[in-house]
Amino acid sequence: MLSEPLSHVAAWLVPLLVALPVAAFVAILLPPLFGRAKSEAWTYGLVRIGVVGATLLALCLAVALLTGIEVPRTVDAGRWFAVGHDVFEVRFGLDGLGLAYGSFSLLLVALAAAFSRRYLHREQGFHRFYALLVLFAAGLALVCFAGSLDMLLIGWELVGISSTLLIAFFNQRPNPVRNALRAFVTYRACDVGLVLAIVCLHVGWGDADFVRDPDGGWLVLPYREGAALGVLAAGALVFAAMGKSAQVPFSGWLPRAMEGPTPSSAIFYGALSVHLGPFLLLRCCELVQSEPWLAATLVVIGLATAGHGALVGRVQTDIKSMLAYGSVTQVGLIMAEVGLGLHLLALLHIIGHAGYRTLQILRAPSLLHDRHHLEQMLGHHVSHAADLDSDGHRWLAAPAMYRHALERGGLDALLADRFVGALLGALRRFDRCEQRCASAFARAVLRRLPRRRARAGDAVEKAHVS
Amino acid sequence: MSAALPLSHAEQQQDDSRALLEDALEHAAHLLPSQPPLHAFVHHNTLHAFEDDDFDRALLKAASLYGTEPYQSEQAFAAHLAQGRIDSRDIEAVLAHAAGGARALWPDGPACAQLWRFRLCHAFETPAAETVAWMVSEGELFADVHDAVGVSARAAWLTRYPSRRRLTGALRALWQQLLAAAPASSPPRRGVRVRDALLARADVDIDEWIHPMMIRLAGAYLDQGIAQVGMPHRGAGFLAAVRTLHARPGRLCERWQGGLADIARDHAMRDLDALDTVAWALETLGIPRADWAGYVLHTLLPLKGWAGMFHQYATNPERLPVRNVPATLADFLAVLLTLETVAIGYALGQADGLAAHGTAAAVVLGMTGADAPAAAATAQARPDLGAVFEAFVVAQGLVLTAEALRDTGRARALVDAVYAFDNLTRRRLLHAAYERHYRVHVLDSLIAHQPHCRDEPARPALQAVFCMDEREESLRRHLEELHPAVQTFGYAGFFGVAMSYRGLDDVRARPLCPVVVTPRHLVEELPLDDAAHARYQQARRRRGRASNFVRTARDDALRGSGWALLVGTLKIVPLIGCSLFPRAFARVMHWLHDLGLERPHTRLRVEGSGKIDPASGLALGFTVAEMTDIVHGMLATMGLTQDFAPVVLIVGHGSSSLNNPHEAAHDCGATGGGRGGPNARAFAAMANHPEVRARLATRGIVLDDATWFVGAYHNTCDDAMSYYDTDLVPATHARALNDAREQLALACTRDAHERCRRFESAPAVLEIDDAMHHAEEHATDLGQPRPEYGHATNAVCVIGRRRSTRGLFMDRRAFLISYDPTTDPDGERLGALLAAAAPVGAGISLEYYFSYVDPRGYGCGTKLPHNITGLIGVVDGHASDLRTGLPWQMVEIHEPMRLLVVVEATPATLEHIVATRPGVATLVLNRWIQLVSVDPASGAVMVFEDGHFEPYQPHSRDLAIVESSMDHYAGHRQHLPCARVRQEVDHAV
Repeated sequence: MLSEPLSHVAAWLVPLLVALPVAAFVAILLPPLFGRAKSEAWTYGLVRIGVVGATLLALCLAVALLTGIEVPRTVDAGRWFAVGHDVFEVRFGLDGLGLAYGSFSLLLVALAAAFSRRYLHREQGFHRFYALLVLFAAGLALVCFAGSLDMLLIGWELVGISSTLLIAFFNQRPNPVRNALRAFVTYRACDVGLVLAIVCLHVGWGDADFVRDPDGGWLVLPYREGAALGVLAAGALVFAAMGKSAQVPFSGWLPRAMEGPTPSSAIFYGALSVHLGPFLLLRCCELVQSEPWLAATLVVIGLATAGHGALVGRVQTDIKSMLAYGSVTQVGLIMAEVGLGLHLLALLHIIGHAGYRTLQILRAPSLLHDRHHLEQMLGHHVSHAADLDSDGHRWLAAPAMYRHALERGGLDALLADRFVGALLGALRRFDRCEQRCASAFARAVLRRLPRRRARAGDAVEKAHVS
Repeated sequence: MSAALPLSHAEQQQDDSRALLEDALEHAAHLLPSQPPLHAFVHHNTLHAFEDDDFDRALLKAASLYGTEPYQSEQAFAAHLAQGRIDSRDIEAVLAHAAGGARALWPDGPACAQLWRFRLCHAFETPAAETVAWMVSEGELFADVHDAVGVSARAAWLTRYPSRRRLTGALRALWQQLLAAAPASSPPRRGVRVRDALLARADVDIDEWIHPMMIRLAGAYLDQGIAQVGMPHRGAGFLAAVRTLHARPGRLCERWQGGLADIARDHAMRDLDALDTVAWALETLGIPRADWAGYVLHTLLPLKGWAGMFHQYATNPERLPVRNVPATLADFLAVLLTLETVAIGYALGQADGLAAHGTAAAVVLGMTGADAPAAAATAQARPDLGAVFEAFVVAQGLVLTAEALRDTGRARALVDAVYAFDNLTRRRLLHAAYERHYRVHVLDSLIAHQPHCRDEPARPALQAVFCMDEREESLRRHLEELHPAVQTFGYAGFFGVAMSYRGLDDVRARPLCPVVVTPRHLVEELPLDDAAHARYQQARRRRGRASNFVRTARDDALRGSGWALLVGTLKIVPLIGCSLFPRAFARVMHWLHDLGLERPHTRLRVEGSGKIDPASGLALGFTVAEMTDIVHGMLATMGLTQDFAPVVLIVGHGSSSLNNPHEAAHDCGATGGGRGGPNARAFAAMANHPEVRARLATRGIVLDDATWFVGAYHNTCDDAMSYYDTDLVPATHARALNDAREQLALACTRDAHERCRRFESAPAVLEIDDAMHHAEEHATDLGQPRPEYGHATNAVCVIGRRRSTRGLFMDRRAFLISYDPTTDPDGERLGALLAAAAPVGAGISLEYYFSYVDPRGYGCGTKLPHNITGLIGVVDGHASDLRTGLPWQMVEIHEPMRLLVVVEATPATLEHIVATRPGVATLVLNRWIQLVSVDPASGAVMVFEDGHFEPYQPHSRDLAIVESSMDHYAGHRQHLPCARVRQEVDHAV
């Protein structure tokens, strides 16, 4: 009897949960738009409402789900648009997977927000940082509580754009901007996979909604027999997940993303953003697992990434890159777990890894302090390479191997030099070809034009020069 | 070709080029940052390499070499003018001092000083030439009198040209006249490297290729223990290690690296050493020998942090945190130039239109030969619109109309005068005015305070010796304010005990003395009870091994997964703790950490027979004679030779904080960036030594049983005090010590309270009881980039008896060194004191100066993206040059000025010291510090200017009088003027 009104309320909590950070984002950005500077306390107050509010709502829903209160699994908040037969609903979904990851993530964002209040105090970009942080929270909530792949895509993009802008937070220096661009290009290239998957699903089955899996109780993208497009969609989804989660060969952007303030690096690249790939695949596990070879490919990619991360991480000499490759390694293993169908393990792994990696990155600036204390406790220096010419890892100390690790497996060179470089080269050739054609054409046309026009052109040019 | 030459000639040439390169490297090394690894951070003059030059000239030279800012920006000075931080008297004083001000621009025309005054007082922005051209063509420039001109000048224009149309006409005429007299715009500066030519011509920046690789290689080579696997073959040197790594072409490498393997193999086979490799690269690039030195320097400068660290490894291996790595600057340069040569070769092969030129040299020649005259010619044709714009505004400000400038000679004179009084000149004068304002205030305050100087309490209840550090000024003041019977002293914080120290927990000994001193004595902290010590060590080792296991496990693939699954989720608890309740969390962690660990009682092994420890090559402890000299030296210099209190505290200091790679920068400069507690402890042990006391008595200092020395340690970050060897204090002194501890605890609370006013995170009106909490939170918060403000705002150094500053509120801006001129007639002690303290004080003040005026060029910018690399330094974000200098969060409230050193000594004594001590002479004569003499007998003040002392006339004898320090600072965050604290002075009577 009681559950009826409760479930009615719960139905509206989910859209509210997403709307809160969005509202905070708008409220933070509006005053500067009209030239009004607001205090740090004001901005932080808005963040508290947006993020802490969303976190509390998520925790309430999680408690409700755990205590067995009947909550609606999908909430339709209206129609977004329709094209012919294809209808796009604004649909939210509520399940154990989304709530577990969503409430944990929002809690981490809320803690990072509280932490950054002191960390970013007096920094020029204080308000910008928080605007992007709440946008990230909104995107994250949307990914976790989306009822269809279409809705998930919106959250996915919000996470991507806020993450890119936070990498470029210190935009007076060229390096952060350059590295943000690299992350952005990787994101965009791989997002094509998600869009492609959505198109395939709509074309093949008419919708991309999640439905409740009878065994696990999670909302998953259902696999329906008889559509070749399904395989394509599944492959595209794996591709999308690879970019977001820095899997081989796209791992290069993750260490480069450590350009923003430390707290944002911690929650984006240590904890939350990198785990969205496996999360997406958990949502779409039926589809991915429908083709054994695809699942096997996923396992191979995951293990390759883990191996790559472990190898490269061992030779990194700056603390943030080392931690970034630690993340790459763990996310690779999580991907493999997803591929093997160990879904619950993967979820626990995600949450556990997010927890400790965040703390580790937040502690990174205290490394000298911590190392000093550790050495005092041990009574000797902490050093793996005991003397200069030989150390415990003989296989890795071989020059070729070491160089391979130091150059990060050459993946950046592979992508940037061979792939993007070749693409750009081809485009440049097209460009030159086009220019030649155009100028030949122009010469041919100009020859036939009356002289007066040409003189007018000269006059314009002269004015320009003077 | 070389084969045709006689062999001896070739050899001769090779020797020449080696000598040339050695000189070039030495010169370059001198200009690189000399910051050691961060754990051994010591403040030093950022422009130490330029100290042989006059301050202002050195700033300009360094600015043009490094591309940095020499002074604060003109806008910053404009803000200082608006806020009264610089006033018109300061401007007039510097203008009167500047040569040539009285000269008229033309007969009957305005004086230069008038023009200068206008430019100093009316800062305006000069738009880019394109913008000016646009403003001219749109007529915007002539619509109204420029905003920057004063009210009176504006009124003058409007009365002369009442209608808008006439005003516009007049302004346009003025513009035309000035334009006709405009100088040609200077061509943009071009770099000397082939890379610059390539960038200009082909839009290819090879630095973007070679620098990331160079940073990776250098980081891997210098790493002191972050990577789990070190670079192979490091023992053979950087160049050899890189050659081994790149002996084979990589299957997956960036394309430009393609030619590297052949070259590396070839060089290894020919056994070229670093200098030969550099010579090879420069010859391959076709750089003329005459340009080699410049080319070497400009190749190193873009990576000056890393290059400087290589040089530090080579020259100061004892300062490395873990172990020695054979790094040399020559190796670094050789690798860098090899990569550069390979990259240029690739770029020449790639870029269209460049291949035809063949070699790099041809490209450079092409740039300077073919294009340069053409570029210069076009520049000649274009008038410098920026200069015209400035002259235009100045003419408006001085109400010079087109008629007044009808004679083109006049317009030219005006434009030239405006042009000559350029941005850097203006900022130099504004800086002088800025410094003068504060100097006048401090000297006036000291003079106004003079009549109120009281002799110190005759029979003090407590004497406490602190470090000269300006952070101890407030603690001393509060202590005296609360307890007028207390007498305080200031001395360099190593208290004369220059030692290498190894604490009970330390892995290895480290020097605790000024950087200029090399310690010759080793002092160790030894446990009293070996069994207790063994238990303690065992427990610690166990914990250490456990946390080390966890540390390595987290970054491992499989163990990391286990860690994530088992405890990862629980990490939310510490996350909540450090985000929401940082202080409580830190306390709990501390408690957990100390749980079951009982540190045994220890003593310092201070006394030794003079025997040399074979392992370290240092003498174990000090002999009685040496101890006597140390104790006598300090007590005599400070004038503490009689009237001893029952307890004499010696207080060293240091700072402990989290989230702070620059933690060591907050420690004591006088101990070489260490924590001064052990020095205080050792000094107290020496002064309590019966034999030392007996010998002191023969030298006129009688210390009897009524006096006991106690060493203590002040943590300047959380304002906690700790005391050493209290179990040795005789029962007769226990009470006195207890009183002293209570008094200091109270003073520390006040000190924390005064400090907190600078933190915006603390409420403007803070309850005194909350102050300690707030300070403690800053020290233990993982999310706090400002644990303390360190030396920020330091500005003055007063050397003399405390009576001249006692009861004077100096806002934590003054280094205070106790010196008694009456016991030092020939100035010998003062000379030694200045020689030791002046470089320390100047180093601190100048490092803050540079990191403030150019946080990116001289400092290391904002802390937020810092990334610790190799345990030796920080880089920005993912990878960058190694950043040296101070982070912005440390210096943001600083006022960049040269240190004002006020010494209680006659000008003759000081002149003698300057003449005989070269270290002091450099700083004083080249104006890196400002020196002031206060005559010990008459109190007359003389300022050292232009090579001699000039009498100083106070401008005002007003000095604010306040009831207590707290009354003065309560509710204020900004810098505060000096004030006399009535409470203390009256009580002391």
